[in-house]
Amino acid sequence: MPSLFVVMIFLPAAAAALLLLLDAKAPPVRARWTALLATLATCLVSLAVASQFLALPETHPNERGPVHPRMEVRQVWLDVAQAGPSSPAVKLEFYLGLDGISLAMVLLTTILSISAVLVSWTSVRERSAEFYASLLILETGLIGVFCAFDLLLFYVFFEFTLIPLFFMVGIWGGPLRRYAAGKFFIYTLAGSVITLLGLIWLVIESYRLALATGHPLATPFAIPDLARFLAENPLPAELQAALFLMIAAGFMVKVPLFPFHTWLPLAHVEAPTAGSVMLAGVLLKLGTYGFLRLCLPMLPHACEHTGLPLIAALSVVGIIYGSFCALAQNDIKKLVAYSSVAHLGFCMLGIFALNTEGISGGVLQMINHGLSTGALFCIVGMFYERYHTRQLSDLGGLAGKLPILAVAMVFTSFASIGLPGLNGFVGEVLSLIGMFKRDPIYAVLGASGVVLGAWYLLGVLQKAFFGPLQEPHHGHEPISDLNAREVATLAPLLVLCVWLGLFPQPTLDLIRPDVEAITKLYAEVRAVRIAPTAMNDQQTQKPGEPSVNTAAADNESAPADATKPAVSGEGRP
Amino acid sequence: MNEDALRNLNGAVQLVLPEIVLLATVCVMFLAAPFLVSDRGEAPAGLRHRWGWLSLVALAMAGWLWWNSGLAPRTTGPFVSDGLTLFVRGLTIVSGAILVLLHWNQADDSRSAESHACLLAILAGVNLVAAANDLVMLFVALELVSIPTYLFLLLPRRDAPAQEATLKYFLLSIFSSAIVLFGFSYLYGATGTTNLTAIHHAFAHHAFAAGEDLPHNPLVAVATVMLIAGLGFRLTAVPFHFYAPDVFQGAPTSAAAMLSFVPKVVGFVALLRLLVPATGSASTMHAWMMTPAATPLLWWLAVATMFVGNLMALMQTDVRRLLAFSSVSHAGYMLVGLVVGMQASQTVSGIGALLFYLVVYGAMTLGAFAVLIAAARSDKRIESLDDLAGLSRTKPALALMLSVFLFSLTGLPPTAGFLGKFNLFVAAWSQGFEWSEGFDSSRWLACLLGVNAALGAWYYLKLIGVMYLRDPVDRSEDVRPMEVPSLVAAVLCLAATVGLFFAPGALWTYVQTLVS
Repeated sequence: MPSLFVVMIFLPAAAAALLLLLDAKAPPVRARWTALLATLATCLVSLAVASQFLALPETHPNERGPVHPRMEVRQVWLDVAQAGPSSPAVKLEFYLGLDGISLAMVLLTTILSISAVLVSWTSVRERSAEFYASLLILETGLIGVFCAFDLLLFYVFFEFTLIPLFFMVGIWGGPLRRYAAGKFFIYTLAGSVITLLGLIWLVIESYRLALATGHPLATPFAIPDLARFLAENPLPAELQAALFLMIAAGFMVKVPLFPFHTWLPLAHVEAPTAGSVMLAGVLLKLGTYGFLRLCLPMLPHACEHTGLPLIAALSVVGIIYGSFCALAQNDIKKLVAYSSVAHLGFCMLGIFALNTEGISGGVLQMINHGLSTGALFCIVGMFYERYHTRQLSDLGGLAGKLPILAVAMVFTSFASIGLPGLNGFVGEVLSLIGMFKRDPIYAVLGASGVVLGAWYLLGVLQKAFFGPLQEPHHGHEPISDLNAREVATLAPLLVLCVWLGLFPQPTLDLIRPDVEAITKLYAEVRAVRIAPTAMNDQQTQKPGEPSVNTAAADNESAPADATKPAVSGEGRP
Repeated sequence: MNEDALRNLNGAVQLVLPEIVLLATVCVMFLAAPFLVSDRGEAPAGLRHRWGWLSLVALAMAGWLWWNSGLAPRTTGPFVSDGLTLFVRGLTIVSGAILVLLHWNQADDSRSAESHACLLAILAGVNLVAAANDLVMLFVALELVSIPTYLFLLLPRRDAPAQEATLKYFLLSIFSSAIVLFGFSYLYGATGTTNLTAIHHAFAHHAFAAGEDLPHNPLVAVATVMLIAGLGFRLTAVPFHFYAPDVFQGAPTSAAAMLSFVPKVVGFVALLRLLVPATGSASTMHAWMMTPAATPLLWWLAVATMFVGNLMALMQTDVRRLLAFSSVSHAGYMLVGLVVGMQASQTVSGIGALLFYLVVYGAMTLGAFAVLIAAARSDKRIESLDDLAGLSRTKPALALMLSVFLFSLTGLPPTAGFLGKFNLFVAAWSQGFEWSEGFDSSRWLACLLGVNAALGAWYYLKLIGVMYLRDPVDRSEDVRPMEVPSLVAAVLCLAATVGLFFAPGALWTYVQTLVS
């Protein structure tokens, strides 16, 4: 029954409309209960959708393209062919679907939304109906991005998420909120306009190529159809490189990769807690998801030859630079924001390893970062509500005073650092293993970020929670430890951190078919590149150099079981 | 031959029935109004409502006639009735109804009749521009738009700023009309006829049959440059845009709304008629350029218009000036469609994208002005950005509507503005023509359009930021009654802006059939 998953997408928006249109002057109590019920209901629906999804049979790898939603709903949006015989026979569609990767991201979104509502419970006092409405609209936008399988619809949702977040940062943010909201909006919009041009170019070139091959594409905007076509008829190499750079522009800003990250710390620091949670937890993943959904399956040659060196280098720089910036911060929220830059670097490193381990690790890291950084931002918010300061220099030895908060913080920090047994470890290790197979240098440099990560987060723990007690003297009410609501905010995230750390296999199984369908493409790309040159170069190849041919062969045999040994061997301490 | 011409002339009346209805109403209003106003200029309270309703009835009648009219074969008569004519007629009647609603309470009771009559005359003029099949008729129709506009700018408020605005518009408008006339005379000199069908015929056949290459004739080149310059004034294309900010600022808000949309329709339709004669014709005629000079000229015009409009809008602190520059930049976007559409026909038509954008632009810009009118306080219109501060607190529904229109002008989903820009992008990118070696000018246009879309976001966002992120400056209670007509107009525009995003099929198909 596919209608349930359409309900899942639009349920939060419907609740938002209810809040805005029927009850714009609602007292905060009513607004937040409405929002909580809406997010809970959405989460339950998404779980029901997940069970429906898992009940569906898996498509055989040979019968599917690189992108293949297991559930789908298609509805014609604009049939260009109706305009007359000279118009191209092309359709735009409202094409919603779900595959393993998007299901994982949807579940992450619905769970984090509940925490986002709970964490704003008392901190948002004015214009609360509008606040929760923005949050719910944002949730719809985010779920929509993950469920969109039409290029234009993807872009529509991708852009649409800017609007509610702009209001959340701009209205309920910190002192610099207006500047931060504007910068965030313009920066990401400028990037995504280039992406839009790139996507249009991609579709036009594919459409022409399809006409030339004699099999016209009726739905060149549908991602699965386009990816399947391009897997069989790749575009020329230079064109792929140009397209990759254009399409990547918007996603690089969104992730954010190193030189494009400047909007992020500002937006994070100024955003209200719920905004930070959604921004770090899900919004940044739109960038990585975009790479995974659009660049990797459609432009394999460019990802292999342009994307790998470029993105890996930027990610490594981002990991190290982000970590050092985090080390230098006195404001805890800013520190967590910079740690996001570093963690997203791991994620990109894994995805652009372009093999099964790497991509699985990258996807896992997307979820992990959402959970652990989401929880970290929640904790920082709870802190701020108590002391009205986020400065490390004002705080010290709070573990005695706030034991439950301290436990949660220690736990979340360890998850974020990547302590074995918690979720961060699995994702980072898989990403690094994947990259190590491709280019050890990036992997080694990236691994140094793990050490730096431990340094700055343990530094926070040491300074703020242990050592002699130090509190700001004025401006706060009597301090009490976490109440039931705050525990309920953090508990699901922390439980998931442990569960993903101990049993990553179900998640890996969920995404495996989709990841393998993509990596299959890369085995072919490498084989094609090597085939003509290998013949000529057989004499010149030195025995010490690893032959790329074998690497490709490895990869072809690897997908089926590559993830299992990597995880079962090292996932459990 | 003479009998034929005579029959064409006589039959021509049939082709412009909706305009005749509108102009008859104009006459009734001008004649009847003086008898209802006393010598001292006092009118019974509420008289303006009656004139408003009369205008709406006239538009409804014209709409009914429009709905029942059909295509007519192209003749040498003074009027044509092809797809483009019908399209423009529908557009003017719908947008005219919205403008009547906007204008409802803008003029006081004693001057309401004349200003409504001027508005109807302008609308009839727009339709006649689209229906003209003769240079003389085209010029008369253009003047039928211009002359009532002067009155329309001045009548509702006769204070000093309005006078200044009117005078500015008047002088520049006269100047541009003279330039257009000059261009027409050269075109006549080159072809020996004023009939557009005959001119097209001359171009299509003369150029290929005889040795003389009409498009390269210097007379035609001069005519083209003059026509583009003269009509550029109406489009507010840079560098003919100078009047726009001052006039928008000084004129009544409803007149500014009219100026932001109606002259653009006129300018683009006239340009299409002159430069791309195949548009909307029932017969299949070759798409041709009047002269090779037109493309580079329009290319630079589009680029300059987009950039100047957006960069100047960034610096404005007056809402009306800001919207004036925004309308300049949107003229630039539409010129992109015209430039790429003038090339040999391709899979996605630039003209189709232009016409689609024109409709969408009408909905969102008229909507924005409708909200400005509805949000005015009893003592003060919306002028500076400060007047909009905190609108989301005082009038949340209006603020929400205005932000939808502004997001649409930015080109963000889920609004029709997004699809409008998307169409232009696709058209420009798929065209790929070169007018000099190795310079893919239409793709460059697409890129520059992208840059400008991002630039534009900055000032639209500033407006939204003012409404939502700032506190109201004046917190006193406003006793002004609800501005119902402009609210209705705003809701209609909102429905169009959002509706055309979710169901663009009908309009899209329609505008595409006009050019294929």
